[in-house]
Amino acid sequence: MIGEKIIAVLKKDAITAIRYRNGFVLSALAQVAQLATFYYLARAVGPQFRPEGMPYFLFLLIGTGFYTFLLSGTHSFLKTIQESQQTGTLEVLLTTATPAAVLVSLGALSAFGEGLLQFVVYIGAGIFLFAPALHVNVAGCLLAFGFSILSAFAIGLFAAGLQISMHKGSTVLWLLGSGAWLMSGTMFPVAALPRGVQIISYFIPFTHSLAAMRLSLLAGNFAAIAQEVEILAVFALFLVPAGVIFFSSMVRQARQNGTLSFY
Amino acid sequence: MTALEPVSLGPPMNSVVFESVHKIFRQRGFFFLRQRGAETHALKGISLTVRAGEVLGLLGPNGSGKSTTLKLISTVLLPNAGVVLVQGSDTQRHGQVVRRNVGFALASERSFFPRLTVRENLEFFAALENVGRRDVSDRIEWVLSCVSLNDVSGKQVVKLSSGMYQRMGIARALVKRPAIVLLDEPTRSLDAAAADELWRLILNLSGTGITVLLATHNFQEATAICDRVAMLKQGELMAVEKPRDFAAEELREFYFEMTRDAAPEKFRLGVPA
Repeated sequence: MIGEKIIAVLKKDAITAIRYRNGFVLSALAQVAQLATFYYLARAVGPQFRPEGMPYFLFLLIGTGFYTFLLSGTHSFLKTIQESQQTGTLEVLLTTATPAAVLVSLGALSAFGEGLLQFVVYIGAGIFLFAPALHVNVAGCLLAFGFSILSAFAIGLFAAGLQISMHKGSTVLWLLGSGAWLMSGTMFPVAALPRGVQIISYFIPFTHSLAAMRLSLLAGNFAAIAQEVEILAVFALFLVPAGVIFFSSMVRQARQNGTLSFY
Repeated sequence: MTALEPVSLGPPMNSVVFESVHKIFRQRGFFFLRQRGAETHALKGISLTVRAGEVLGLLGPNGSGKSTTLKLISTVLLPNAGVVLVQGSDTQRHGQVVRRNVGFALASERSFFPRLTVRENLEFFAALENVGRRDVSDRIEWVLSCVSLNDVSGKQVVKLSSGMYQRMGIARALVKRPAIVLLDEPTRSLDAAAADELWRLILNLSGTGITVLLATHNFQEATAICDRVAMLKQGELMAVEKPRDFAAEELREFYFEMTRDAAPEKFRLGVPA
Protein backbone atom coordinates (compact mmCIF):
# COMPACT_ATOMS: atom_id res chain seq x y z
CA MET A 1 0.00 0.00 0.00
CA ILE A 2 2.87 2.40 0.78
CA GLY A 3 4.20 1.80 -2.76
CA GLU A 4 0.90 3.01 -4.22
CA LYS A 5 1.04 6.09 -2.01
CA ILE A 6 4.59 6.86 -3.13
CA ILE A 7 3.56 6.54 -6.79
CA ALA A 8 0.51 8.78 -6.20
CA VAL A 9 2.59 11.51 -4.53
CA LEU A 10 5.34 11.42 -7.19
CA LYS A 11 2.73 11.52 -9.95
CA LYS A 12 0.97 14.51 -8.35
CA ASP A 13 4.25 16.41 -7.95
CA ALA A 14 5.42 15.57 -11.47
CA ILE A 15 2.14 16.70 -13.05
CA THR A 16 2.18 19.91 -10.99
CA ALA A 17 5.81 20.63 -11.99
CA ILE A 18 5.05 20.05 -15.68
CA ARG A 19 1.97 22.28 -15.57
CA TYR A 20 4.01 25.04 -13.92
CA ARG A 21 6.70 24.46 -16.56
CA ASN A 22 8.23 27.96 -16.42
CA GLY A 23 9.41 27.42 -12.84
CA PHE A 24 10.76 24.01 -13.83
CA VAL A 25 12.91 25.47 -16.64
CA LEU A 26 14.12 28.41 -14.51
CA SER A 27 15.29 26.16 -11.68
CA ALA A 28 17.28 24.05 -14.20
CA LEU A 29 18.93 27.22 -15.53
CA ALA A 30 19.75 28.30 -11.95
CA GLN A 31 21.65 25.03 -11.42
CA VAL A 32 23.75 25.58 -14.53
CA ALA A 33 24.56 29.12 -13.34
CA GLN A 34 25.58 27.81 -9.91
CA LEU A 35 27.85 25.23 -11.49
CA ALA A 36 29.54 27.91 -13.57
CA THR A 37 29.97 30.09 -10.45
CA PHE A 38 31.79 27.28 -8.63
CA TYR A 39 34.04 26.66 -11.63
CA TYR A 40 35.13 30.29 -11.92
CA LEU A 41 35.43 30.65 -8.13
CA ALA A 42 37.79 27.66 -8.07
CA ARG A 43 39.77 29.15 -10.98
CA ALA A 44 40.04 32.49 -9.17
CA VAL A 45 41.28 30.77 -5.99
CA GLY A 46 43.88 28.91 -8.03
CA PRO A 47 45.13 25.28 -8.22
CA GLN A 48 47.45 25.63 -5.22
CA PHE A 49 44.50 25.58 -2.79
CA ARG A 50 43.70 21.88 -2.25
CA PRO A 51 41.47 21.49 0.85
CA GLU A 52 41.68 17.96 2.31
CA GLY A 53 43.97 17.05 -0.59
CA MET A 54 41.49 17.54 -3.44
CA PRO A 55 40.97 20.22 -6.12
CA TYR A 56 38.88 23.09 -4.76
CA PHE A 57 36.29 22.74 -7.54
CA LEU A 58 35.63 19.13 -6.51
CA PHE A 59 35.58 20.12 -2.83
CA LEU A 60 32.94 22.75 -3.62
CA LEU A 61 30.88 20.48 -5.87
CA ILE A 62 30.64 17.66 -3.37
CA GLY A 63 30.14 19.97 -0.39
CA THR A 64 27.57 22.24 -1.95
CA GLY A 65 25.85 19.54 -4.00
CA PHE A 66 25.39 17.15 -1.10
CA TYR A 67 24.56 19.90 1.41
CA THR A 68 21.94 21.36 -0.96
CA PHE A 69 20.50 17.90 -1.47
CA LEU A 70 20.16 17.34 2.28
CA LEU A 71 18.93 20.83 3.10
CA SER A 72 16.35 20.96 0.30
CA GLY A 73 15.07 17.56 1.46
CA THR A 74 14.81 18.87 5.01
CA HIS A 75 13.15 22.06 3.84
CA SER A 76 10.60 20.13 1.81
CA PHE A 77 8.99 18.75 5.00
CA LEU A 78 8.38 22.29 6.11
CA LYS A 79 7.24 23.32 2.63
CA THR A 80 4.74 20.47 2.51
CA ILE A 81 3.11 21.74 5.70
CA GLN A 82 3.25 25.41 4.69
CA GLU A 83 1.71 24.78 1.27
CA SER A 84 -0.99 22.57 2.75
CA GLN A 85 -1.84 25.28 5.27
CA GLN A 86 -1.99 27.94 2.55
CA THR A 87 -4.00 25.87 0.06
CA GLY A 88 -6.35 24.55 2.74
CA THR A 89 -5.46 20.90 2.12
CA LEU A 90 -3.84 20.24 5.51
CA GLU A 91 -7.03 19.49 7.43
CA VAL A 92 -8.24 17.23 4.63
CA LEU A 93 -4.92 15.39 4.40
CA LEU A 94 -4.93 14.83 8.14
CA THR A 95 -8.38 13.24 8.01
CA THR A 96 -7.20 10.56 5.56
CA ALA A 97 -6.25 7.03 6.55
CA THR A 98 -2.52 7.86 6.17
CA PRO A 99 -0.72 8.81 9.42
CA ALA A 100 0.53 12.41 9.63
CA ALA A 101 4.26 11.53 9.84
CA VAL A 102 3.95 9.28 6.77
CA LEU A 103 2.06 12.01 4.88
CA VAL A 104 4.69 14.66 5.47
CA SER A 105 7.48 12.23 4.62
CA LEU A 106 5.78 11.32 1.35
CA GLY A 107 5.51 15.04 0.60
CA ALA A 108 9.31 15.33 0.82
CA LEU A 109 10.02 12.54 -1.67
CA SER A 110 10.00 14.67 -4.81
CA ALA A 111 12.30 17.26 -3.26
CA PHE A 112 14.78 14.53 -2.34
CA GLY A 113 14.52 13.20 -5.90
CA GLU A 114 15.12 16.64 -7.38
CA GLY A 115 18.05 17.23 -5.01
CA LEU A 116 19.53 13.87 -5.93
CA LEU A 117 19.32 14.73 -9.62
CA GLN A 118 21.12 18.01 -8.96
CA PHE A 119 23.82 16.21 -6.96
CA VAL A 120 24.31 13.68 -9.76
CA VAL A 121 24.68 16.55 -12.26
CA TYR A 122 27.31 18.14 -10.00
CA ILE A 123 29.23 14.89 -9.61
CA GLY A 124 28.90 14.32 -13.35
CA ALA A 125 30.54 17.71 -13.92
CA GLY A 126 33.28 16.74 -11.46
CA ILE A 127 33.92 13.44 -13.29
CA PHE A 128 33.91 15.23 -16.65
CA LEU A 129 36.51 17.76 -15.53
CA PHE A 130 38.54 15.72 -13.00
CA ALA A 131 38.05 12.09 -13.99
CA PRO A 132 41.50 10.93 -12.82
CA ALA A 133 40.88 12.28 -9.31
CA LEU A 134 37.68 10.28 -8.65
CA HIS A 135 38.00 6.73 -7.28
CA VAL A 136 34.61 6.03 -5.83
CA ASN A 137 34.11 3.80 -2.78
CA VAL A 138 30.59 2.69 -3.66
CA ALA A 139 29.77 1.07 -0.29
CA GLY A 140 30.96 4.14 1.59
CA CYS A 141 28.92 6.39 -0.70
CA LEU A 142 25.75 4.37 -0.24
CA LEU A 143 26.12 4.18 3.55
CA ALA A 144 26.91 7.89 3.85
CA PHE A 145 23.97 8.63 1.58
CA GLY A 146 21.51 6.41 3.48
CA PHE A 147 22.35 7.59 6.99
CA SER A 148 22.51 11.22 5.86
CA ILE A 149 19.02 10.95 4.39
CA LEU A 150 17.76 9.53 7.69
CA SER A 151 19.22 12.48 9.61
CA ALA A 152 17.77 14.95 7.07
CA PHE A 153 14.41 13.17 7.35
CA ALA A 154 14.47 13.55 11.16
CA ILE A 155 15.46 17.23 11.05
CA GLY A 156 12.70 17.75 8.47
CA LEU A 157 10.15 16.28 10.87
CA PHE A 158 11.36 18.67 13.60
CA ALA A 159 10.98 21.62 11.20
CA ALA A 160 7.49 20.48 10.13
CA GLY A 161 6.50 20.10 13.80
CA LEU A 162 7.72 23.62 14.53
CA GLN A 163 5.75 24.95 11.57
CA ILE A 164 2.58 23.35 12.93
CA SER A 165 3.13 24.52 16.49
CA MET A 166 4.54 28.04 16.10
CA HIS A 167 3.95 28.75 12.37
CA LYS A 168 7.51 30.07 11.99
CA GLY A 169 9.31 26.87 11.08
CA SER A 170 10.94 28.51 8.05
CA THR A 171 12.66 31.12 10.24
CA VAL A 172 14.06 28.44 12.53
CA LEU A 173 15.17 26.31 9.59
CA TRP A 174 16.78 29.31 7.87
CA LEU A 175 18.75 30.00 11.06
CA LEU A 176 19.80 26.37 11.45
CA GLY A 177 20.54 26.05 7.72
CA SER A 178 22.75 29.13 7.70
CA GLY A 179 24.58 27.92 10.80
CA ALA A 180 25.11 24.49 9.29
CA TRP A 181 26.22 26.05 5.98
CA LEU A 182 28.92 27.93 7.88
CA MET A 183 30.01 25.13 10.19
CA SER A 184 29.63 21.85 8.31
CA GLY A 185 32.48 22.37 5.83
CA THR A 186 30.41 23.16 2.75
CA MET A 187 32.68 25.71 1.09
CA PHE A 188 35.86 25.46 3.18
CA PRO A 189 37.33 22.84 5.54
CA VAL A 190 36.03 22.73 9.11
CA ALA A 191 39.67 22.99 10.25
CA ALA A 192 39.67 26.64 9.11
CA LEU A 193 37.11 27.52 11.82
CA PRO A 194 38.01 28.58 15.40
CA ARG A 195 38.43 25.66 17.80
CA GLY A 196 35.16 26.35 19.69
CA VAL A 197 33.13 26.40 16.46
CA GLN A 198 34.80 23.20 15.31
CA ILE A 199 33.46 21.48 18.43
CA ILE A 200 29.93 22.69 17.65
CA SER A 201 30.30 21.53 14.04
CA TYR A 202 31.08 18.04 15.30
CA PHE A 203 27.49 17.83 16.62
CA ILE A 204 25.94 18.73 13.26
CA PRO A 205 25.10 15.57 11.29
CA PHE A 206 25.70 17.29 7.95
CA THR A 207 29.38 17.85 8.86
CA HIS A 208 29.83 14.09 8.94
CA SER A 209 27.66 13.63 5.84
CA LEU A 210 29.95 15.88 3.79
CA ALA A 211 33.11 14.37 5.23
CA ALA A 212 31.93 10.81 4.56
CA MET A 213 30.79 11.64 1.03
CA ARG A 214 34.06 13.41 0.13
CA LEU A 215 36.12 10.54 1.51
CA SER A 216 33.99 7.98 -0.33
CA LEU A 217 34.07 9.79 -3.65
CA LEU A 218 37.83 10.28 -3.52
CA ALA A 219 38.74 6.81 -2.23
CA GLY A 220 39.72 8.04 1.18
CA ASN A 221 41.03 5.90 4.01
CA PHE A 222 38.54 3.09 4.73
CA ALA A 223 38.86 3.52 8.52
CA ALA A 224 38.14 7.26 8.18
CA ILE A 225 35.03 6.55 6.06
CA ALA A 226 33.85 3.93 8.57
CA GLN A 227 34.29 6.37 11.46
CA GLU A 228 32.17 9.06 9.77
CA VAL A 229 29.50 6.51 8.80
CA GLU A 230 29.34 5.23 12.38
CA ILE A 231 28.77 8.75 13.71
CA LEU A 232 26.04 9.27 11.09
CA ALA A 233 24.40 5.99 12.15
CA VAL A 234 24.34 7.12 15.79
CA PHE A 235 22.75 10.45 14.78
CA ALA A 236 20.10 8.60 12.74
CA LEU A 237 19.40 6.18 15.57
CA PHE A 238 18.54 9.01 17.98
CA LEU A 239 17.14 11.65 15.64
CA VAL A 240 14.62 9.56 13.67
CA PRO A 241 12.47 8.34 16.59
CA ALA A 242 12.81 11.75 18.27
CA GLY A 243 11.64 13.49 15.07
CA VAL A 244 8.64 11.18 14.65
CA ILE A 245 7.62 11.62 18.30
CA PHE A 246 8.07 15.41 18.17
CA PHE A 247 6.09 15.82 14.94
CA SER A 248 3.26 13.53 16.05
CA SER A 249 2.95 15.35 19.37
CA MET A 250 2.86 18.76 17.63
CA VAL A 251 0.06 17.54 15.33
CA ARG A 252 -1.85 16.21 18.31
CA GLN A 253 -1.39 19.50 20.17
CA ALA A 254 -2.67 21.41 17.11
CA ARG A 255 -5.74 19.15 16.95
CA GLN A 256 -6.28 19.91 20.63
CA ASN A 257 -5.86 23.67 20.19
CA GLY A 258 -7.74 23.88 16.90
CA THR A 259 -4.76 25.48 15.15
CA LEU A 260 -4.04 22.89 12.44
CA SER A 261 -4.85 25.21 9.57
CA PHE A 262 -3.35 28.38 11.11
CA TYR A 263 -0.29 29.85 9.39
CA MET B 1 -28.02 8.73 -9.50
CA THR B 2 -26.03 5.55 -9.04
CA ALA B 3 -27.27 2.56 -7.10
CA LEU B 4 -25.25 1.90 -3.97
CA GLU B 5 -24.37 -1.37 -2.34
CA PRO B 6 -25.08 -1.74 1.37
CA VAL B 7 -22.15 -1.10 3.68
CA SER B 8 -21.31 -3.89 6.08
CA LEU B 9 -21.30 -2.38 9.54
CA GLY B 10 -21.46 -5.54 11.63
CA PRO B 11 -23.91 -5.68 14.53
CA PRO B 12 -26.21 -2.67 15.08
CA MET B 13 -24.41 0.03 17.01
CA ASN B 14 -24.28 3.74 17.57
CA SER B 15 -22.17 5.38 14.90
CA VAL B 16 -21.27 8.44 16.92
CA VAL B 17 -21.51 9.13 20.62
CA PHE B 18 -20.75 12.47 22.32
CA GLU B 19 -20.47 12.32 26.10
CA SER B 20 -20.34 15.72 27.85
CA VAL B 21 -18.02 17.13 25.19
CA HIS B 22 -16.40 20.53 25.67
CA LYS B 23 -14.33 22.30 23.07
CA ILE B 24 -12.44 25.45 23.96
CA PHE B 25 -10.34 27.50 21.52
CA ARG B 26 -7.58 29.38 23.26
CA GLN B 27 -5.60 32.36 22.05
CA ARG B 28 -2.35 31.31 20.40
CA GLY B 29 1.00 32.22 21.95
CA PHE B 30 3.47 30.79 24.39
CA PHE B 31 2.74 30.76 28.10
CA PHE B 32 3.05 34.36 29.36
CA LEU B 33 2.41 35.77 25.86
CA ARG B 34 -1.06 34.19 25.80
CA GLN B 35 -3.83 36.68 26.57
CA ARG B 36 -5.76 35.77 29.67
CA GLY B 37 -9.44 35.18 29.08
CA ALA B 38 -8.96 35.13 25.30
CA GLU B 39 -10.77 31.86 24.73
CA THR B 40 -13.94 30.70 23.02
CA HIS B 41 -16.06 27.96 24.51
CA ALA B 42 -17.28 26.47 21.23
CA LEU B 43 -19.05 23.40 22.66
CA LYS B 44 -20.43 23.30 26.19
CA GLY B 45 -20.92 19.77 27.47
CA ILE B 46 -22.73 18.27 24.51
CA SER B 47 -24.10 14.73 24.77
CA LEU B 48 -25.54 13.17 21.64
CA THR B 49 -25.96 9.76 20.04
CA VAL B 50 -26.20 9.11 16.31
CA ARG B 51 -27.44 5.73 15.12
CA ALA B 52 -25.97 3.79 12.20
CA GLY B 53 -27.62 4.69 8.90
CA GLU B 54 -29.22 7.81 10.32
CA VAL B 55 -29.18 11.26 8.69
CA LEU B 56 -28.64 13.77 11.46
CA GLY B 57 -28.81 17.48 10.77
CA LEU B 58 -26.95 20.02 12.87
CA LEU B 59 -28.99 23.18 12.75
CA GLY B 60 -27.94 26.60 13.97
CA PRO B 61 -26.54 29.99 13.01
CA ASN B 62 -22.85 30.77 12.52
CA GLY B 63 -20.87 30.20 15.70
CA SER B 64 -23.36 27.74 17.18
CA GLY B 65 -20.86 24.84 17.06
CA LYS B 66 -21.98 22.86 13.98
CA SER B 67 -18.60 22.75 12.20
CA THR B 68 -16.80 22.17 15.50
CA THR B 69 -19.00 19.13 16.09
CA LEU B 70 -18.12 17.71 12.66
CA LYS B 71 -14.42 18.45 13.15
CA LEU B 72 -14.44 16.61 16.47
CA ILE B 73 -15.86 13.52 14.77
CA SER B 74 -13.28 13.71 11.96
CA THR B 75 -10.42 14.17 14.52
CA VAL B 76 -9.38 17.51 12.98
CA LEU B 77 -10.10 18.66 16.53
CA LEU B 78 -9.85 16.79 19.81
CA PRO B 79 -12.12 17.55 22.78
CA ASN B 80 -10.85 19.42 25.86
CA ALA B 81 -13.19 17.39 28.05
CA GLY B 82 -15.63 14.54 27.48
CA VAL B 83 -15.47 11.66 25.04
CA VAL B 84 -16.24 11.33 21.33
CA LEU B 85 -16.74 7.74 20.19
CA VAL B 86 -16.89 6.92 16.48
CA GLN B 87 -17.91 3.34 15.62
CA GLY B 88 -16.94 2.53 19.20
CA SER B 89 -13.43 4.04 18.94
CA ASP B 90 -12.34 6.98 21.08
CA THR B 91 -11.11 9.84 18.87
CA GLN B 92 -8.46 10.76 21.47
CA ARG B 93 -6.89 7.32 21.64
CA HIS B 94 -7.69 5.68 18.31
CA GLY B 95 -7.65 8.57 15.84
CA GLN B 96 -6.22 6.49 13.01
CA VAL B 97 -9.02 3.90 13.31
CA VAL B 98 -11.60 6.68 13.34
CA ARG B 99 -10.15 8.34 10.25
CA ARG B 100 -10.52 5.10 8.28
CA ASN B 101 -14.27 5.18 8.89
CA VAL B 102 -15.08 8.85 8.39
CA GLY B 103 -15.33 10.87 5.17
CA PHE B 104 -15.44 14.64 5.63
CA ALA B 105 -16.52 17.21 3.03
CA LEU B 106 -15.32 20.55 4.37
CA ALA B 107 -17.06 23.82 3.64
CA SER B 108 -13.73 25.17 2.27
CA GLU B 109 -13.40 25.34 -1.51
CA ARG B 110 -9.62 25.61 -1.52
CA SER B 111 -8.72 22.15 -0.38
CA PHE B 112 -7.69 20.65 -3.75
CA PHE B 113 -4.59 20.74 -5.93
CA PRO B 114 -5.62 23.37 -8.49
CA ARG B 115 -3.43 22.28 -11.43
CA LEU B 116 -4.52 18.66 -11.23
CA THR B 117 -7.69 17.49 -12.94
CA VAL B 118 -10.74 16.30 -11.01
CA ARG B 119 -9.79 12.67 -11.66
CA GLU B 120 -6.11 13.20 -10.76
CA ASN B 121 -7.11 14.82 -7.47
CA LEU B 122 -9.44 11.95 -6.63
CA GLU B 123 -6.79 9.37 -7.59
CA PHE B 124 -4.33 11.05 -5.23
CA PHE B 125 -6.75 11.08 -2.31
CA ALA B 126 -7.88 7.51 -3.06
CA ALA B 127 -4.27 6.34 -2.68
CA LEU B 128 -4.00 8.10 0.69
CA GLU B 129 -7.25 6.44 1.73
CA ASN B 130 -5.81 2.97 1.06
CA VAL B 131 -8.01 2.29 -1.98
CA GLY B 132 -6.22 -0.50 -3.85
CA ARG B 133 -4.89 0.15 -7.36
CA ARG B 134 -7.29 -2.37 -8.87
CA ASP B 135 -10.32 -0.64 -7.34
CA VAL B 136 -9.32 2.99 -7.96
CA SER B 137 -10.78 3.36 -11.42
CA ASP B 138 -14.17 1.86 -10.55
CA ARG B 139 -14.31 3.76 -7.28
CA ILE B 140 -13.65 7.09 -8.98
CA GLU B 141 -16.25 6.40 -11.66
CA TRP B 142 -18.70 5.63 -8.87
CA VAL B 143 -18.07 8.80 -6.86
CA LEU B 144 -18.06 10.96 -10.00
CA SER B 145 -21.43 9.59 -11.01
CA CYS B 146 -22.73 10.04 -7.44
CA VAL B 147 -22.08 13.77 -7.67
CA SER B 148 -22.63 14.09 -11.45
CA LEU B 149 -19.12 15.25 -12.29
CA ASN B 150 -18.27 12.63 -14.95
CA ASP B 151 -18.34 15.22 -17.70
CA VAL B 152 -15.67 17.39 -16.09
CA SER B 153 -13.38 14.65 -14.79
CA GLY B 154 -10.58 15.73 -17.17
CA LYS B 155 -10.84 19.39 -16.28
CA GLN B 156 -8.24 21.11 -14.06
CA VAL B 157 -9.75 21.94 -10.68
CA VAL B 158 -8.77 25.59 -10.99
CA LYS B 159 -11.37 25.90 -13.76
CA LEU B 160 -14.33 24.53 -11.76
CA SER B 161 -17.28 26.57 -10.50
CA SER B 162 -18.09 26.88 -6.78
CA GLY B 163 -20.87 24.33 -7.04
CA MET B 164 -18.54 21.84 -8.74
CA TYR B 165 -15.95 22.35 -5.99
CA GLN B 166 -18.63 21.59 -3.45
CA ARG B 167 -19.61 18.37 -5.22
CA MET B 168 -15.97 17.40 -5.62
CA GLY B 169 -15.51 17.71 -1.87
CA ILE B 170 -18.36 15.25 -1.41
CA ALA B 171 -16.83 12.91 -4.01
CA ARG B 172 -13.56 12.96 -2.08
CA ALA B 173 -15.37 12.19 1.17
CA LEU B 174 -17.00 9.16 -0.47
CA VAL B 175 -13.93 7.76 -2.20
CA LYS B 176 -12.98 5.55 0.76
CA ARG B 177 -16.56 4.20 1.13
CA PRO B 178 -16.77 5.47 4.71
CA ALA B 179 -19.24 4.26 7.32
CA ILE B 180 -19.87 7.88 8.33
CA VAL B 181 -20.04 10.91 6.04
CA LEU B 182 -19.74 14.44 7.41
CA LEU B 183 -21.06 17.26 5.23
CA ASP B 184 -20.49 20.88 6.19
CA GLU B 185 -23.21 22.98 4.51
CA PRO B 186 -23.20 20.71 1.45
CA THR B 187 -25.74 22.68 -0.60
CA ARG B 188 -24.33 26.14 0.14
CA SER B 189 -23.12 26.83 -3.40
CA LEU B 190 -25.53 24.60 -5.30
CA ASP B 191 -28.49 25.61 -7.43
CA ALA B 192 -31.91 24.11 -6.69
CA ALA B 193 -31.58 21.20 -9.13
CA ALA B 194 -28.10 20.24 -7.89
CA ALA B 195 -29.23 20.55 -4.26
CA ASP B 196 -32.20 18.29 -4.97
CA GLU B 197 -29.87 15.74 -6.57
CA LEU B 198 -27.56 15.89 -3.56
CA TRP B 199 -30.47 15.33 -1.18
CA ARG B 200 -31.37 12.18 -3.10
CA LEU B 201 -27.76 11.02 -2.88
CA ILE B 202 -27.76 11.56 0.89
CA LEU B 203 -30.97 9.55 1.28
CA ASN B 204 -29.49 6.87 -0.96
CA LEU B 205 -26.34 6.72 1.21
CA SER B 206 -28.43 6.47 4.34
CA GLY B 207 -30.44 3.65 2.76
CA THR B 208 -27.25 1.60 2.40
CA GLY B 209 -26.36 1.94 6.08
CA ILE B 210 -24.02 4.91 5.84
CA THR B 211 -24.49 7.44 8.63
CA VAL B 212 -24.67 11.05 7.46
CA LEU B 213 -24.19 14.14 9.61
CA LEU B 214 -24.72 17.46 7.95
CA ALA B 215 -24.39 20.98 9.21
CA THR B 216 -27.00 23.25 7.72
CA HIS B 217 -28.76 26.60 7.99
CA ASN B 218 -31.54 25.40 5.77
CA PHE B 219 -34.83 24.36 7.42
CA GLN B 220 -36.16 23.00 4.14
CA GLU B 221 -33.10 20.77 3.81
CA ALA B 222 -33.54 19.61 7.39
CA THR B 223 -37.17 18.63 6.91
CA ALA B 224 -36.53 17.04 3.51
CA ILE B 225 -33.71 14.63 4.35
CA CYS B 226 -32.89 14.47 8.07
CA ASP B 227 -34.17 11.72 10.35
CA ARG B 228 -33.42 14.00 13.29
CA VAL B 229 -32.04 17.49 13.76
CA ALA B 230 -29.85 18.61 16.64
CA MET B 231 -30.52 22.29 17.33
CA LEU B 232 -27.49 24.16 18.58
CA LYS B 233 -27.24 27.56 20.21
CA GLN B 234 -23.89 29.11 21.16
CA GLY B 235 -22.27 25.74 21.73
CA GLU B 236 -25.19 24.21 23.61
CA LEU B 237 -27.50 21.48 22.39
CA MET B 238 -31.02 22.85 22.79
CA ALA B 239 -33.11 20.00 21.40
CA VAL B 240 -33.08 16.97 19.13
CA GLU B 241 -36.24 16.70 17.04
CA LYS B 242 -37.65 14.63 14.19
CA PRO B 243 -38.10 17.26 11.48
CA ARG B 244 -40.51 15.18 9.43
CA ASP B 245 -43.07 15.85 12.18
CA PHE B 246 -42.88 19.52 11.16
CA ALA B 247 -43.36 21.62 8.07
CA ALA B 248 -40.24 23.66 7.31
CA GLU B 249 -41.94 26.84 8.51
CA GLU B 250 -43.01 25.17 11.76
CA LEU B 251 -39.50 23.90 12.32
CA ARG B 252 -38.12 27.37 11.86
CA GLU B 253 -40.60 28.83 14.33
CA PHE B 254 -39.80 26.05 16.77
CA TYR B 255 -36.07 26.76 16.41
CA PHE B 256 -36.48 30.48 16.99
CA GLU B 257 -38.71 29.86 19.97
CA MET B 258 -36.04 27.55 21.35
CA THR B 259 -33.11 29.86 20.77
CA ARG B 260 -34.97 33.17 21.29
CA ASP B 261 -32.39 35.96 21.46
CA ALA B 262 -29.41 33.78 20.55
CA ALA B 263 -30.16 33.59 16.81
CA PRO B 264 -29.12 36.80 15.10
CA GLU B 265 -31.73 38.80 13.21
CA LYS B 266 -29.89 38.26 9.93
CA PHE B 267 -30.19 34.51 10.44
CA ARG B 268 -33.93 34.78 11.16
CA LEU B 269 -34.61 36.85 8.05
CA GLY B 270 -32.13 35.29 5.66
CA VAL B 271 -32.67 31.59 6.13
CA PRO B 272 -35.12 30.02 3.71
CA ALA B 273 -37.90 27.90 5.15
